[in-house]
Amino acid sequence: MTGADGVKRLEEAGGTQFEQIGAARRLTERRLAERRQQLAALPPGQTAVVLCGSWGRRELTSSSDDDFMILVETPETSLRPSLEEVASALEIVAPAADGAFGEHVHLAHLRDRIGRDGDDNANLTRRMLVVLESVAISGSDVHNRARRELLTRYLEANVRDYRPPRFLLNDLVRYWRTIAVDFESKMRERKGEGWGLRNAKLRLSRKALFAGGLLPVLECHRYQTNEMLDYLDQRMSIPPLDRLADAFLAYHAVDVGIRAFTAYDEFLAILDDPDLRVGLSSVKRGGANTSPIFSRVAELGSVFQESLLSLLFDDATLYRLAREYLVF
Amino acid sequence: MSAVVAADRGARDLGPVRAHHALGISTGVFADARGAWPDLVEAALGVSRDVVELSAMSYNELPGLLSYLDGRTLPFRYVSVHAPVKGDRVYNVLSQLATLPLWVRSIVTHPDAIDSLPAHGQLTHRLVLENMDDRKTYGRTADELAELFAELPAAGFCLDVAHAWSVDPTMSSAHELLDAFRSRLRHVHVSSLRDGRHVTLRRADEELFTDVLARCRDVPWILEAPLREKADF
Repeated sequence: MTGADGVKRLEEAGGTQFEQIGAARRLTERRLAERRQQLAALPPGQTAVVLCGSWGRRELTSSSDDDFMILVETPETSLRPSLEEVASALEIVAPAADGAFGEHVHLAHLRDRIGRDGDDNANLTRRMLVVLESVAISGSDVHNRARRELLTRYLEANVRDYRPPRFLLNDLVRYWRTIAVDFESKMRERKGEGWGLRNAKLRLSRKALFAGGLLPVLECHRYQTNEMLDYLDQRMSIPPLDRLADAFLAYHAVDVGIRAFTAYDEFLAILDDPDLRVGLSSVKRGGANTSPIFSRVAELGSVFQESLLSLLFDDATLYRLAREYLVF
Repeated sequence: MSAVVAADRGARDLGPVRAHHALGISTGVFADARGAWPDLVEAALGVSRDVVELSAMSYNELPGLLSYLDGRTLPFRYVSVHAPVKGDRVYNVLSQLATLPLWVRSIVTHPDAIDSLPAHGQLTHRLVLENMDDRKTYGRTADELAELFAELPAAGFCLDVAHAWSVDPTMSSAHELLDAFRSRLRHVHVSSLRDGRHVTLRRADEELFTDVLARCRDVPWILEAPLREKADF
């Protein structure tokens, strides 16, 4: 098992540097320190303030959102701080009440409502973000316990030695497919506004999120059931790109990994450029084929996807796991 | 791709090249139909619906290709155009290439066809440089290509395995090219060489190229000569 230095080790193996990824990580760490300082004055409690998305992936760019949730560990915990208190301390606008981040998030809901009607879109999204791409700016112990509890719940369901845990795998795949389906729904509702940028994120950052969860789950084939929780908990505690880099290294796919990360690096550079980002956001589906910036991002997305597919299907071990577990 | 995976796919008897997931062909293979773009595309579709290289190796082939592609889309997922490198040069070839539809993902050229680095820079990321064979005096090795890539930082790389073999039959030079330009690799040209001409990939060459091709397993491979029939094994 390796730590949160997978990207660095891939850079060393390939004799290259992913400058934009490095810059985004440095920016994230600096801003995280600021955020933690801003919340230090709030009253302590059994809650965690958790930043998601690019914060959790350590990929902050100049225009990243401040999506946060307040995670509540136990039902009797006081609902402090409030969303408004946190937003005020962070000097940002409180999340909209109708979104995934517009209310306190109860661990019990994430843990006990997996599947069926109680597990609505927001609950699924929050649970997956806590597991896959989140970082605490207060209450990190609560956040860590929550991730472990969620993984524990997934591993209670008929897990076998040396087999990827299907309950977790199925929920993860469901989440990825939900993101893809919801993309179409959102675009219809918003009449295509922001199509280019959202499509680009679907092709790259959302795919990194999914693959960064998928590979550790498949890797459970190396472990007995009593080892899987520690393994998964450690893996999910580090950024998705480090998990991916570790996989490329472990399966002797350095060349392929370098191409994947080079593409991702350029994608982050585009997101970090205000003009390119605005230009990308303004692209509508009908204009995609004539937009140079969208064509470039589509190319980067293709490279990233082909690299991930090669990792999954061109290695004998992963190919057998993908064949056995990814379709049915 | 590993031999084990090929076996799992029932493809062991076909060799790693035929089993590659993104294998297409250069229309230059169909010399008899040169210039007849609908026929060339139809022939390429018979090999792959995923990958193609539209070969306009002579300058006089480019206007016909541009006319054929105007307002059209093709079913392939990966389309490369081989830019003109033969015949009498025309002054505005780069501005013509720049008008290729954006779904043409790569525009391949030869290092010795580049007469102006800044002018080629207008093709930005779509420009792809191919390594040359041993008959050329430039653009064959990693060191020689590095000079060009330094001036064309956005350009991609096409590894021609047969060209690399002609320079160094041990294939060390091919590995050096990948060591240096792996992050730029867009696709691979696959064939054997005989008297400087691209010919059907020999079985011995396929085995010799296996380790190099394994490093390129995520990118399209484009045949520069038809594959041998199974009976030829």
